[in-house]
Amino acid sequence: MLKGEVIIDEALCQGCGYCVKFCPRGCIAITGDKFTPQGYLLPTVIKPDECKPCGVCAMLCPAAAIEVYKFETEVVA
Amino acid sequence: MGERMFIEGNIAVGWGAASAGCQAFFGYPITPQNEITEWFAREFPKMGRIFAQSQSELGSINLVYGAAAAGVRAMTSTSGPGWSLMQETMSDMANAELPCVVVDVQRGGPGGGPIRHAQQDYFQCTRGGGHGDYRNIVLAPASSQESCDLVQLAFYLADKYRNPVVVMTDAIIGRLRETVEVEKIEFGPLPDKDWAVKGKARHKDGKRRIVDHSGDLLRRYPSYRALLQSLEQKMKQMQESELRYEGYKMEDASLILVAYGYTARVAKEAVNMARADGIKAGLIRLITAWPFPYQVIREKACQGGKFLVVEDSLGQVIEDVRFAVEGRAEVHLVSILDRHIPTDGGMILPDKVFDKIKEIQ
Amino acid sequence: MSQGGRLEDAMNEEVKVVTKQRVAGRPKLLVPQIAGFIYCPGCHEPLAARAIAEVLEKLGMGDRAIGVFDIGCNSFLLGMLDIDAVLTPHGRPPDMATGVKRVYPDNIVFTVQGDGGLLSIGADPLLGALTRAEKITIIMLNNAVYGTTGGQMAPTSLEGQVTTTTPNGRDLARTGFPTHAAEMIATFRGVAYSARGAFNTPKNYMRTRKYITSAFQKQMDNVGLSFVEIICACPENWRLSPIDSLKWIEEKMIPEFPLGEFKNVDRIE
Repeated sequence: MLKGEVIIDEALCQGCGYCVKFCPRGCIAITGDKFTPQGYLLPTVIKPDECKPCGVCAMLCPAAAIEVYKFETEVVA
Repeated sequence: MGERMFIEGNIAVGWGAASAGCQAFFGYPITPQNEITEWFAREFPKMGRIFAQSQSELGSINLVYGAAAAGVRAMTSTSGPGWSLMQETMSDMANAELPCVVVDVQRGGPGGGPIRHAQQDYFQCTRGGGHGDYRNIVLAPASSQESCDLVQLAFYLADKYRNPVVVMTDAIIGRLRETVEVEKIEFGPLPDKDWAVKGKARHKDGKRRIVDHSGDLLRRYPSYRALLQSLEQKMKQMQESELRYEGYKMEDASLILVAYGYTARVAKEAVNMARADGIKAGLIRLITAWPFPYQVIREKACQGGKFLVVEDSLGQVIEDVRFAVEGRAEVHLVSILDRHIPTDGGMILPDKVFDKIKEIQ
Repeated sequence: MSQGGRLEDAMNEEVKVVTKQRVAGRPKLLVPQIAGFIYCPGCHEPLAARAIAEVLEKLGMGDRAIGVFDIGCNSFLLGMLDIDAVLTPHGRPPDMATGVKRVYPDNIVFTVQGDGGLLSIGADPLLGALTRAEKITIIMLNNAVYGTTGGQMAPTSLEGQVTTTTPNGRDLARTGFPTHAAEMIATFRGVAYSARGAFNTPKNYMRTRKYITSAFQKQMDNVGLSFVEIICACPENWRLSPIDSLKWIEEKMIPEFPLGEFKNVDRIE
């Protein structure tokens, strides 16, 4: 069950790689096969299941291209 | 009935600004305008208004830019060398469409120049002074009373057109002590300064305001051309509606003197002497040095008039007169070189102008 | 009663609801840029706008803040912050900020400038504001070059640093020494706070955000002038990749420009 989700807006991302470097669990990588519309190399979340949504990737993103969400499952009844 | 005072032009500038609701003054020491800065240092704190001495004239004009951007009436005063340091920001304020008033109490130039009177900043004041296409309305008081009244007019015109206005006096008008009636002049309503920055909380719509001096960079105008068209439109309106001059004995005049400030008073004296001698002389006294009265001069030229420009410089106003007559009439000059003594204390005197009138008529 | 029966069945089953909560992302005050995002990949200047936005949101001062921006790369930060703002001639923000602050003393008025913008052409207004002890906040982005104009030497360029006006590397014998703003500014009596941060690591980003908070707090408490210098990566003009720029900050910039607080007082006599 995914604990969190990292969404990188490819319209804003400039492929600087800070998110790749600063993710404490190495969940993000620039695989080199995906490009942003502007032609930058787009980082992708390669290990989504290990993402403990801490939000560091979003915090250090100069283009403010990353949104991070946390999933919480609640037992209602 | 205003309050009557016996004060110098520099002091009259202060009372005029206060009457006009000026809220902020920033100044830096430079002779011969120090009395203005010192007046604001004494009086504005008492009125709960803002005074600060800046670190330079670059500082003064940019402090004014800040206060004007915040939506209050703001001004500074200086003299030639300081006025030169202000030109970049004057150009920026034309782009940013920021109202303010700058008083230039002219002194000798170029460069260090004597600290006494002269009229050598005419070009710099009337041609914008800084980089790019823009103009400022330039008002030229010729007395302490006018120093008080034209500063009030300057604030009104600055807000009306959202553009700086220059009040161009000199060390004589500035230091000449005369009777002045200080009275608040009503010029009529003006739109609210909704564009000013105050913090979003102070805006009715809660939306941010941006004051910038690069009109197209941040899309204040859709394009650079749109910005320029707007500025051109503004300059046309100023020229059409804000021209002011005094015609003295002009009805039948065939020899017309053109002057502003203290040399206009000398010229008026010379016109009286000429008239007493049967010479049909008249005077056009510039109250606005810009807009310039091209039309009336051209008309007089077409009627066969001759012109004599009287100015305390090597010849700047004369270029506008020549431009107005377009070769249709003779244009002569009594200049700074015709002062009564060669030292910086020299002055252009009425009999010198009268001699010239007799020579050319 | 079939409908009711189905209802009972639902009651007994364990029902799990998955909620999705936002943890991090674009601060509310950070809006898409008016003139389009013009920053080079890896440039740290937009992070300054982000940090300011986050601090203003935390302090609840977004609608009482007025930003005064300089000519330079930081000019475009003005379009990214949803606050009232003024763009000034190059080097002049402390003058404008003074003018605005004197009119609205209860607002947070802060400047954002480059190293050249503050320490070179901006030295006159800087000294004016310091001497007058204006209660404004000055934020200087130190990327050791003039960015917008293509990477010329700045007062903070390092020894040996190649720029377009030091093609053979900055020769201190001919160009003088890097200027240390935070330490210098801390020596003025009218200064309540002076610190230097950086954005090269998550820890440093959070530390710098704290410095900005402290600086704004000094202004809100009317103590004195507050200053925050932030070392910013400029990959384009350093001719380095973004990641290598972080290394350059670590190995070259920070040793020359140590991080930390150089002055932090709550009262000025």
